[in-house]
Amino acid sequence: MVLSHLYFLVIFGFLLTGCIGLLASWIDRKVTARVQYRVGPPILQPFLDIIKLLGKETLMPAGASKVTFFLAPALGVSGVILASTLLWLNVLNTQETFIGDLIVVIYLLTIPSLSLIIGGFASRNPLASLGASREMKLILSYELPFILALLVPVIHSGLTIKLGGILNYQAQNGIILNSVSGFIAWAVVMLCIQAKLGLVPFDIAEAETEITSGPLIEYSGPALALFKLMKSMLLFTLPFFVMIMFLGGLNWEGIHLLWGFLKYIGLVALITVIRNTNPRVRIDHAVRFFWGPMTLLAVLAIFLAVKGY
Amino acid sequence: MIREEVLRQVQERFKDDIIDFFDKTPKRVFIEIKPESITEVVQYILKERAARFNIATALDARYHTEIIYHFTIEDINLLISFRVKLDKKKPKIDSITPILEGANWIEREMNEMLGIEFVGHPDMRRLLLADDWPEGIYPLRCDYKEWDEKAIRDRGI
Amino acid sequence: MDIKTKALLKSPWVFHLSTGSCNNCDIEVLDCLTPRFDIERFGMILAGSIKHADVLLVTGSCNRQSAIRLKRLYEQVSKPVFVVAIGECSLSRGMFIHSYNCPVPLDKIIPVDVYIPGCPPKPEAIIAGVVKMIEKVKAADKAKKK
Repeated sequence: MVLSHLYFLVIFGFLLTGCIGLLASWIDRKVTARVQYRVGPPILQPFLDIIKLLGKETLMPAGASKVTFFLAPALGVSGVILASTLLWLNVLNTQETFIGDLIVVIYLLTIPSLSLIIGGFASRNPLASLGASREMKLILSYELPFILALLVPVIHSGLTIKLGGILNYQAQNGIILNSVSGFIAWAVVMLCIQAKLGLVPFDIAEAETEITSGPLIEYSGPALALFKLMKSMLLFTLPFFVMIMFLGGLNWEGIHLLWGFLKYIGLVALITVIRNTNPRVRIDHAVRFFWGPMTLLAVLAIFLAVKGY
Repeated sequence: MIREEVLRQVQERFKDDIIDFFDKTPKRVFIEIKPESITEVVQYILKERAARFNIATALDARYHTEIIYHFTIEDINLLISFRVKLDKKKPKIDSITPILEGANWIEREMNEMLGIEFVGHPDMRRLLLADDWPEGIYPLRCDYKEWDEKAIRDRGI
Repeated sequence: MDIKTKALLKSPWVFHLSTGSCNNCDIEVLDCLTPRFDIERFGMILAGSIKHADVLLVTGSCNRQSAIRLKRLYEQVSKPVFVVAIGECSLSRGMFIHSYNCPVPLDKIIPVDVYIPGCPPKPEAIIAGVVKMIEKVKAADKAKKK
């Protein structure tokens, strides 16, 4: 039994998530290039980026704490792999779910952002600590509407906190997006995901020209490759999570596989469109945005869900 | 006040300090004054004529070193330039930084590039030259010679 | 060609470094990164930090103050790295050859791989220079194998 779960961890959690995530980041870059009326990178570009980074040397600044400097990317990648394995397990066989695995997945999905903060503070650099403190403020702000909006599918499917329970409910009663409260909650979650992934308009922590890559400024070589891999895997895991909660997950029989594929591509396209049409906001605007309108919308969605709409 | 009125008042006030008066164009006037009277002239033109200090330029001529202070009076569209001629061997003049803080950096630059000494400057440090530039060698002087053995001055072809 | 060099040539991340230029060459380099002369099709992205860089685009004649900083920055780049000298000032100091503040040309301070002449060079020339560097590395590798 341990062996079969190891198979899941490596094949589904790491390899499949990594490949689909890197292809999704290629789609993102290509669509961005096309929107800006230019040719984009070739299809294997994100893979070549990771391979190239594995071949460079690693430099550590003097005075940085050695253990946490190299622990941070490993921590981030392992968090994403575990979360992705849990999601795949539930999609492949909804009987494998256990009570509370929704909460476990939400916890595991905050680990990548925490690893950025740990890495930023471990490098002995004022710009890195500035980026890490901005990331901290951002996490404080978007986690609240994220969790509130994720309560809506829970309420709809009869107060079950099992991922398998939510999937079963949607298989029988239609996807949660169809209801008014589901739609509002889905919109809130999509914007929170934009902040979790560190994409414009909320890529404040890693603003390239402002604070020269923020927490990642001192990373090079394989450590940086792990961070980039973590970001790409997150680009697969988070829309997958949204698919499970709001869009009915992935169904393996026949034509429904194509629908699942199109749902995923649609979510990635929406993320890319939001990314290309918005400027970057300041950190106080972002905090005010997430604690103001987004929280109100999430509370409204919960209220409507309780009423039954 | 019109332009002629201003110039007449300047000439009257500093009768024995002005050596030469050159009315070049309607916008520019070059007045040469003695080096000892620079503080009085600057005080007068800043307080009473309400002029603005633009910049000071310095150069190393054949037999003397000179500094020109440029002041603008904007309402009448006039740029007055005060020229002082200093001794070439040891150029020395009163600093106008106690009157006008804006002249601080330009006097530091003139000191390190041409070796002009400003008496009364509060903070005479290096401004633009590198930290390992030797003391006493002034790059913008006429008799500057290449002191660096490791410099490469040919194109190698 | 081993996989490391191949991946390095297919995804070179550029970093723009000015050692005291008049900023004309810098404007032309920034012009290269705009959508008109798209360099992302070669896999090149503008890297934010110098530790992420594979190609250093150096402009400006190196004066005494920036020589110290340039050496320190070059030690912080994670090797292997290619250095591209852009504009006349970085090739041989251009018109500043007799200046008191620029004692040595750039390639006596850090090793330079590609020289792109021009004052300033056009963005097409800069792209052609970087592509020639990629061809040169490939040819050198092929000659080494033989």
